[in-house]
Amino acid sequence: MTAAASAPLRRPLLSLLRGSFPAAATKRTLVQLPPAPSSLPRKIGMFAQPKVFHSPRPAHTPRRRIRIHPPIAAPATKDAIGALTSLQLATLDPTGARGRLFSRHNHDAIRVGDILQVRRKNGEPPFAGVLINIRRRGVDTAFLLRGQVTRVGVEVWFKLYSPTIEAVELVQRAAKRKKRAKLYYMRKPQHDIGNVQNIVAQYTRQRAMLRGEGKKAAHAPKGGQQHHKEKK
Amino acid sequence: MPLKIPTAACLRPRHVSRTAVHSFIVGRSQFTTSAPNAFGLRPKRVSSSGSPVLLEASRAAALARRQLPDRTGALAYKTGMTAIYTPEGVRIPCTVLQLDRVQVTAVKDRKTHGYWAVQVGLGWRNPKNVTRPMLGHYENCGVAPKKLLREFRVKDEKGLLSPGTQIKADHFLVGQFVDVRANSKGKGFAGGMKRWGWSGQPASHGNSLTHRAMGSAGQSQGGGSRVLPGKRMAGRMGGEQHTVQNLKVLKVQPELGIVVVSGCVSGPKGCVVELQDAIKKPMPVIS
Repeated sequence: MTAAASAPLRRPLLSLLRGSFPAAATKRTLVQLPPAPSSLPRKIGMFAQPKVFHSPRPAHTPRRRIRIHPPIAAPATKDAIGALTSLQLATLDPTGARGRLFSRHNHDAIRVGDILQVRRKNGEPPFAGVLINIRRRGVDTAFLLRGQVTRVGVEVWFKLYSPTIEAVELVQRAAKRKKRAKLYYMRKPQHDIGNVQNIVAQYTRQRAMLRGEGKKAAHAPKGGQQHHKEKK
Repeated sequence: MPLKIPTAACLRPRHVSRTAVHSFIVGRSQFTTSAPNAFGLRPKRVSSSGSPVLLEASRAAALARRQLPDRTGALAYKTGMTAIYTPEGVRIPCTVLQLDRVQVTAVKDRKTHGYWAVQVGLGWRNPKNVTRPMLGHYENCGVAPKKLLREFRVKDEKGLLSPGTQIKADHFLVGQFVDVRANSKGKGFAGGMKRWGWSGQPASHGNSLTHRAMGSAGQSQGGGSRVLPGKRMAGRMGGEQHTVQNLKVLKVQPELGIVVVSGCVSGPKGCVVELQDAIKKPMPVIS
């Protein structure tokens, strides 16, 4: 009550409301406060009162321990598509030769700008053209060739692992590494390579010659890498 | 049905005497099949197939009419899309689904719940993040806490499985057809062209600033000077459940939990899908 008495006289109601708390505390000054009377509770609220439980369970008894069953074994892999891809490639590309043709880890791999020839099993004539896009999607990997059929520019997507493809032959490498991943600018007339039949014919002649000499290089075109080594 | 009938009441035979409320409902149901109007007596409850047989208005009859698979379905994660080559060399685009620790957690029956269903759980959830009521449920069925629970309705009690049973990928047979249900990708607030496939307006011929608008929302005075309810407009698109029916099962790998279905399935990679025997194809024969 001494603290209440020291409060400004013009605000008697406020000082009454403050009760036992000293006015100095509200002013935040470094004054040694007198101890509060011990008869009054320091805190009035839920913490000062005993807890009320509405559960039929008596208070402060431990809750029933729920048994937690262990989980069963998870599938062997989370990469389901990867597992499925390797499973399919085991039959579609058992030697891995086709995969190496377009692999990013292979330095001698086919790159965009190279001229390729694709032979098919279904009796259609082989298609040759410049490689303008590689779409790497595991077993669904495909590549886009741009060539000419009857003087009309034609683009064909081939699925690398398709069983209908007999062979992918590297006819000619690009003179310089292309600075783009997709050579769609080659569709423009000023960049269009046009007919590649002359280059393919020359390649076929060379190959026949090598084969006639009975060299081992006859196997080269399918792999592509060996062909490159010859050039070196 | 406007008035809710207790399950027990509709299971009882009709001739058993009941309270006034029940007899009123039964009496009324005989007249709901036809109603007098300007063209004479016209049936009200008819089959959507156009059959002249009137539909019986009872819960048991409605349950019998309902197209439901014999067996329960399974939950799976959509892993993504790839392709499969048949031995003939035909490429089939497909979706890979992975069943991760799919187990039956509960069953619902006609007597207690009004229908038959199997509750199935997927994956695993850390028990720390599961509430006590749900932990009690998992304790009862004897399985570890699941990531997600879903219910699959089945035709009758023959389709029920005991809780704790694991549903593996070989639950589905290669060559059978399934219905696959998932939440589609959310597209946000989409215009009418994208949402409903409208053609929009021409790009030129004097057109100005109106190329993708919805056009007219209806007539003026002759049509009541109002927009009819259900008018297709721009709005939230996607993010809702979508079922793709009759997808063929191309491959099954039980040890990896893989089910490969032909074609595409709604939702992003990693989303949860429900797959169940197709209701519009003959049920697979389990040997």
